[in-house]
Amino acid sequence: MKGKMEQAAGLLRDSGPNVKLSIVIMGGGQFKYGARGKGILFFLIQLSVLYYFITRGFADIAGFFTLGTKKGDAWLGVTGDNSVVMLLMGIFAWLVLAAFLYLYAMNIGDAYRMKKRLEQGRRILTLREEAMQLWDKKFYVTVLILPVAGVFVFNVLPIIFMILIAFTNYGGTVVPPELVDWVGAANFVKLLSLSQFAPTFVKILGWNLLWAVAATVLNYFAGLGLALLLDKDCVKGKAFWRMFPVLAYAIPGFITLLAFKFMFSYGGPVNQLITAGGGAAIGFLDLDAKWTARLIGIVVNCWISTPSIMLLATGILSNRDISLYEAARIDGAGKWKQFLRITMPFVLFSTLPVLIGQFVGNFNNFGIFYFLRGGLYMDGYFLASDTDLLINWLYNLSINNNYYCLGAAISLVIFVITSIISLTVYIKSPSYREEDTFR
Amino acid sequence: MRTKQNKREDLSMSEKHSMSEEHSMSEEHSMSEEHSTSKEYSISVIHALGRIFDTGITYIILLAVSFLFFFPCLWLILASFSESGTIYSFNGFFPKAYSLASFQRLFTDIAMYNYPRWFANTLFVAAGSCILGTFLVILTAYTMSRFEFRARKPIMKTTMVLSMFPSFMGMIVVYLLMTQFNLINHLWGLILIYSAGAPMGYLTQKGFFDTIPRAIDEAARIDGATNFQVFTKINLPLSRPIIVYTLLTSFTWPWSDFILPKLLLKEKNLYTVAVGLMSLDETEFARFAAGSVFIAVPIVLLYFVLVKNMVKGMAQGAVKG
Repeated sequence: MKGKMEQAAGLLRDSGPNVKLSIVIMGGGQFKYGARGKGILFFLIQLSVLYYFITRGFADIAGFFTLGTKKGDAWLGVTGDNSVVMLLMGIFAWLVLAAFLYLYAMNIGDAYRMKKRLEQGRRILTLREEAMQLWDKKFYVTVLILPVAGVFVFNVLPIIFMILIAFTNYGGTVVPPELVDWVGAANFVKLLSLSQFAPTFVKILGWNLLWAVAATVLNYFAGLGLALLLDKDCVKGKAFWRMFPVLAYAIPGFITLLAFKFMFSYGGPVNQLITAGGGAAIGFLDLDAKWTARLIGIVVNCWISTPSIMLLATGILSNRDISLYEAARIDGAGKWKQFLRITMPFVLFSTLPVLIGQFVGNFNNFGIFYFLRGGLYMDGYFLASDTDLLINWLYNLSINNNYYCLGAAISLVIFVITSIISLTVYIKSPSYREEDTFR
Repeated sequence: MRTKQNKREDLSMSEKHSMSEEHSMSEEHSMSEEHSTSKEYSISVIHALGRIFDTGITYIILLAVSFLFFFPCLWLILASFSESGTIYSFNGFFPKAYSLASFQRLFTDIAMYNYPRWFANTLFVAAGSCILGTFLVILTAYTMSRFEFRARKPIMKTTMVLSMFPSFMGMIVVYLLMTQFNLINHLWGLILIYSAGAPMGYLTQKGFFDTIPRAIDEAARIDGATNFQVFTKINLPLSRPIIVYTLLTSFTWPWSDFILPKLLLKEKNLYTVAVGLMSLDETEFARFAAGSVFIAVPIVLLYFVLVKNMVKGMAQGAVKG
């Protein structure tokens, strides 16, 4: 930090009047150096940001902290503050500020670079040349702008919003036009200590972890095994055999789940066969069917997820270096050894991110128990059942019962757990450490 | 490009070479077999038997797996052709009598459940997000795989962290905000959300691009190709399998998603098939089955068209780093 300060001070001493002008008026230096278009562009940015902050930016930032002070009253005709909108506008104002600071720094750096170029006797690039440079040398900037912007608006912003919600009392009866307030960590304290929430939370968390590990391992190895099986030389008509898993893959998940629910229901075919054989109908997904329901969930999930992993593994296997196998065969390595030493490292390297993604996806697998057993509330659980995962609980709490702030708190807990597990796996993995090995 | 051709020739040369080698080896083998002792003979028999056994087991497993995957589908397909609507009139797994009635009702009896409309909506949303999403994902993945720049590792770490957040909660927030600003009941809103979120899943595609050797890129750069040309002329043709994979996944996701449309579409005429089928009455099992079978058809067809690209990648023929 100190080194950076010194560096900045050094740059300041080194800077000429034009660069100093850019520090005060954005684009001023560029304008004087003759890069008119760029200078005007920077200046316009400064003007519009100033205008925004004077007209509403400062008020928005204040609103971010108060979340509204004036309560609306329909009788008196008072339009009060809408806390949710204020929170959002507050976030927006912070972001504008951050973007402005970035552009400001860029402006100074740009002016400084122009100065250096002139000192070295080179001419300043025109706007057109810089655009060309952006297209080729900095191809990645041009290309990444659109995806980054999209992800930012539709993923990052909601997540920031959600994190903030976890620290408010938004939800229950406290929704606009009521005023929302900051409450600090109260929601987390509630989740971990209140007898209403804590037992449910612990029970669901334990099952959720077990589920995620079991489902991920099963799906991954089933998919990989299937891909290897289909890749064998002795299998004729690969396209034909591959058709069946893909058929399962093609059917939308919710249809599969509802169909399986029908299949295991009291009047469903499985029970019809059992009763026809003289047995009593079994409530596979009933209130007291804890472990059968869980098992059915895991099996059905495997049925749904294996084909996608198989397809992925097939694609990756097709990228294998066949000569490695020939070399291994010549060196006398058996099939099993080839699998362990060549196939597994290669496939793991390519699919580890997917494996982590699968783990997170399974940890947050909303659909499976929502459709198989949906909406059961049980004794000993607060608005949940014994197959529900945290994500289902979150849904019950926030969509069905309006506990937005608690829902947000739970999703933060989910985030902490999944990120700790997957980051440790990822950072220790060869995909991250030896990114260049298989290039 | 020249290097590639050379390597190709090398490969085919070595193939021929190894083939002839095998040939001579098998000749030797057969020659030695003639004069062989019975012990060596029995070893080769055991080998052959082992291979047959191996093949047999493979096929048995394949049959079992295929049955497991096919049976529920068959069940659903036959149910969609059942004469009576409810599941309770079935004989075990299968209906007692068959007819086309449910399909007919699906498309003609649209006062309550406008299935054709739902189908059109779903197709619009899925196709839109598929094209836009694939475009964004491939670009992101390619850039992250091929370019070294300062923000690269931070971006990778950030997306990693972001993807740990339950996307579901983000959806709830999107829903809250959209209702706050009266933006629900728009199909393009769904397309926007799906495709904007798609680049988050770039890691698979990046993994694929990582396995395409960079030697070709560098050669092309030396020959004066721009980065854009390197991408379109060299890497895109080599990455057809992963593009097909991306197209398929980004099509099937909106095609079968139900949470987001359920949250954001409140008008019956804007429903996608998923939300629509979920709104069906419980007694309408055959209609549900018919509707399900019908939306599975396009994806199965897509698969048949795209299977070749998807599976045996062209990259196999390319230079290996």
